[in-house]
Amino acid sequence: MKIPGSYLFLAGALAALGAGWVGFPHVIYKSRPQPVDFSHKTHADKAGLKCEDCHAFRDDGTFAGIPPLEKCAGCHASAMGSTAAEKNFIDRYVTPNREPAWADYARQPENVFFSHISHVKLGGLKCEECHGEMGASDTLRVYQEDRIGGYSRDIWGASPPRNMAGAAPGMKMDDCVDCHRRQGLSHSCLDCHK
Amino acid sequence: MQKTRREILLFMGGGAAGAMLTPAPWRLITDTAIWSENWPGIPRPAAGEVSERYTNCALCPAGCAVRARLVNGQPVSLAGAAGHPWSRGAMCAFGLTAHHLPYHPDRLKVGSASEAETAAAVADAMARRGAGEKAAVLDLAPGRAASAVYRRAMAAVKDGVYLTPERPLGGARVDLSKARTVLSLGVPLFAGWGTPGNLYTARANFRLIQAEPYESATAALSDEWLAIKPGSEAILAAALAGKIPNTDAAVATGLAEQRIVDVGLSLRANGPSVVLAPENSPEVFELNRALGAFGKTLVADDSAEHGAPDGATLASVPDGSIRVLFLDESVPGAHIPWKAIERKLVPSNPLVVAFAWSREGYGRHAHFVLPAAVYPEMLTDIPSALDSPAPMFRLAAPLVAAPAGMIDPVAFVAKTAGIDPGNPLREKADAIQKAGRGSVFTPAGGKSTPVRSLKPDDFWKALNNGATWMGEPAAGTSFAKPASTLAAGDASDFRLAVAFTGAHFATLASPLMAKLYQDSDLRLAPDTVALHPDTARAAGLADAARGKLETAYGACAVGLVLDAAVPKGLLRVAPGPETLDICGANTRAKVAAL
Repeated sequence: MKIPGSYLFLAGALAALGAGWVGFPHVIYKSRPQPVDFSHKTHADKAGLKCEDCHAFRDDGTFAGIPPLEKCAGCHASAMGSTAAEKNFIDRYVTPNREPAWADYARQPENVFFSHISHVKLGGLKCEECHGEMGASDTLRVYQEDRIGGYSRDIWGASPPRNMAGAAPGMKMDDCVDCHRRQGLSHSCLDCHK
Repeated sequence: MQKTRREILLFMGGGAAGAMLTPAPWRLITDTAIWSENWPGIPRPAAGEVSERYTNCALCPAGCAVRARLVNGQPVSLAGAAGHPWSRGAMCAFGLTAHHLPYHPDRLKVGSASEAETAAAVADAMARRGAGEKAAVLDLAPGRAASAVYRRAMAAVKDGVYLTPERPLGGARVDLSKARTVLSLGVPLFAGWGTPGNLYTARANFRLIQAEPYESATAALSDEWLAIKPGSEAILAAALAGKIPNTDAAVATGLAEQRIVDVGLSLRANGPSVVLAPENSPEVFELNRALGAFGKTLVADDSAEHGAPDGATLASVPDGSIRVLFLDESVPGAHIPWKAIERKLVPSNPLVVAFAWSREGYGRHAHFVLPAAVYPEMLTDIPSALDSPAPMFRLAAPLVAAPAGMIDPVAFVAKTAGIDPGNPLREKADAIQKAGRGSVFTPAGGKSTPVRSLKPDDFWKALNNGATWMGEPAAGTSFAKPASTLAAGDASDFRLAVAFTGAHFATLASPLMAKLYQDSDLRLAPDTVALHPDTARAAGLADAARGKLETAYGACAVGLVLDAAVPKGLLRVAPGPETLDICGANTRAKVAAL
C-alpha cells in the first residue's frame, strides 16, 4: 500500500511535536522533592505570617532569602501541631540541627546583581509579581532542574512556548527587561551585570 | 513494509518541521550556551550571607583602598572605598577585577620541585660559589617590609647583594597638588601611572602637556599633545633645559621651533611645573632643576617610613657574576627584561629561584619555581605611591585563603641566609605607631585618627581591616642626578622606538578582562606588534602576519598588525611573555622577516 507523501510528512511532524512537547520535558529535567513538605498556606492562614516575616531583609538591606533553620526552630523547637510533615521536619532537621537542603526555584546566575530591597521598597513590587502564588501554596512543587543548564524549570515562567508548563511568571533576563521597559526604567547591561 | 528513501526523507522532513514548533531546539540552544557555567573548575561562590571587608590593592604602589563584597566569605566584587582621603573611592580596571587572579588559567599552584629540594639545591650552589661570585635577591617591588628582610639576608651572606630596579625620577615623589603645569614625556598618566583617585582630583588644577609619538589615552586627555618623533623625548627635555639649540631639537623631534619655545615659556610662566618621564634621565633631571621643581612639585624620598632605600641596581653588578639569584615576583612590580638579568648570571650552572604566582613570569627561565600566594590571598604591605609626597603604610589583607603549599619568599630567603625574619610587617607597624607621626584612615568608619592615639594592637588591627596610615610629607632636598641613560642597543641598528600598549603586568590581569579586551579589539593580543604600513614595507613585511622583533637583548617571534595610526618609526608592542623578555624601558628595536 502506498502512503501519500503528505501523510508521511504529517506523521513525522506529529511524532516530533509529541516528542518535543511531551517527551522532551521528561528528558531535560531531573526532579527531586523538597526536603520538607512545607505549606505556605498554613503559615499564612493559621500563623498569620507575612512573606517578610520569614524571607526578611537584613539590617543592611540585603535579602536573607530562604530562612535558615534557626529561624524555623524559633517556632518549631517542639511540635506546634499534629501533622506528619511537622513531625518529620522536627525529627530530621530541628532536633539534629541540620539545615534542610532547600532547592531554590528562583536561583539566578552568579553574574546577576539583583536587589530585592530596591524592587520591593523602592519599586513597590509585590512578591507575587515575580514569584507567583507561591505564598498561597499548600505544598511545595517537586523541584525540576535542567540537566544541562542547571537552573530551575520555574524561571521559564508559565508561557507554554518557553516552558511547556509553569506556575509563576518568568525570571529570565527577557522578563526583567520587559518589565523595566514597561515601567520606563533603565535596562542596560550594567544595571544587573555589575 | 518496505520504505523508499523518498518516504523516509519525507517523514524526517516532517519531523524536522515539527521539532521547530516545539521548545526542544530552542531550549537546547539556550542550555548549551549556559552549559559552560557547569563545567568542572568554574569557581562557584556559594550562596550565603553577604558581607563586606576592606583591604588595599597590592597590584601597584597606588594601593587603592578596596571595599570587597563577599558572599559566604568569598569575594564576588571589588570597589573603591568611598571617602578615602587618598584613593577617593577610585580604582583602575585591573584593581576592580583583581579577585579573579587566584583563578587565572596560568596560576602556579605546584612548584617545579619541593621546597626542601629547592633549599638543598640552593645550599649546594651557595657552597659552590667561587671567589667574587654573588648571591643576590632581585626585589621587583622594593619599599615593602619584606624588602628590609631581603636586605638583611643579603648582608648576612658573603658576597650577597640586594638588587632593586631603578626607580623613575630617581625615587623622588611627585606632588601633583602643587603643580600648575605638567609636562609628561610619554608617561601613561591616565593609563596606570600614579593613583587614579589622586590623579583625577589634582587634574582640575594643572595643565597637562603630553609629549608622545602617538595619541595614547593620556595624550587624548591632555590639554596639549606634542606629537614628537619616536625616541626624541630626551632631546625635547634637553632643549627645554637650554642644553641644546631649539633648532636642533626641532629637527630631531619634528616639532616647530616656535612650539618648543612656547612650551618652555608655558612651563616657566605657569609654575610650579614638573616634568615626568618613565625612566631616569639626566636631561629630565636638568629640566626639573631649571624649573625649580625639586622641593616643590618633586619631593625627595628620604623618609625612613618610605621603606628600605634603594638597593644596588642590576647595572652596577658585573656581567657573569651572580651564581645564585632569588627573584621575588609574588607582588607585581617593576619589569626588567629577562635577557638583561640573564647576562648577570655566571656562564656555567647558575641557580635561579623564582617565587611566582603565575606560570608566565620569570619562572619560565628559573631553575626552580616555587609557588607563592597572590593578591588578594597574601598579606603584604604596599610601598608608598609614586604620587604621594607623604609616606604611607597600607596592608593588603587576605580576602581568601591561599591554596595549600604556597611558599613564603621572605621566610625561604631568610632561612637560606640563616637569619630570623621576625614579623617584618608587625615590626614596621609598631615602629610607625611608636614614632607617633601622621594619621590613620579607617574606611569602615570613614574617619581619620592620629596614630599616637592608638595602641599598637589597635593600630595593627586597623591596618588588617584596610586602614591607611599617612605620615607627614617628606621634606628631603637631596636629589641625585642620574647617570646617562642610553637606549639599550646600538641606535644605528635598532632604529625603531618601542612603546608598550599598557602596563607590563597586563598579561597577568584578570583573565575575564583580558578576554573581553581582546575579543573587543580594545587591546592587542600578547606578543603582538602594531606598526605603520610604511614601517612594515621598509622591513619587507608588507603582507606578513608574523615577524621577528629584535632588540639588543635578543629576538622573538611576534604577530604583526598594520595600523596607519601608529607613527612611522614606532613599534607599539603588546606585553607578553616573549616581548617582555627582550623589551624594557627606553628600548629600541627592529623588525624583520622570520
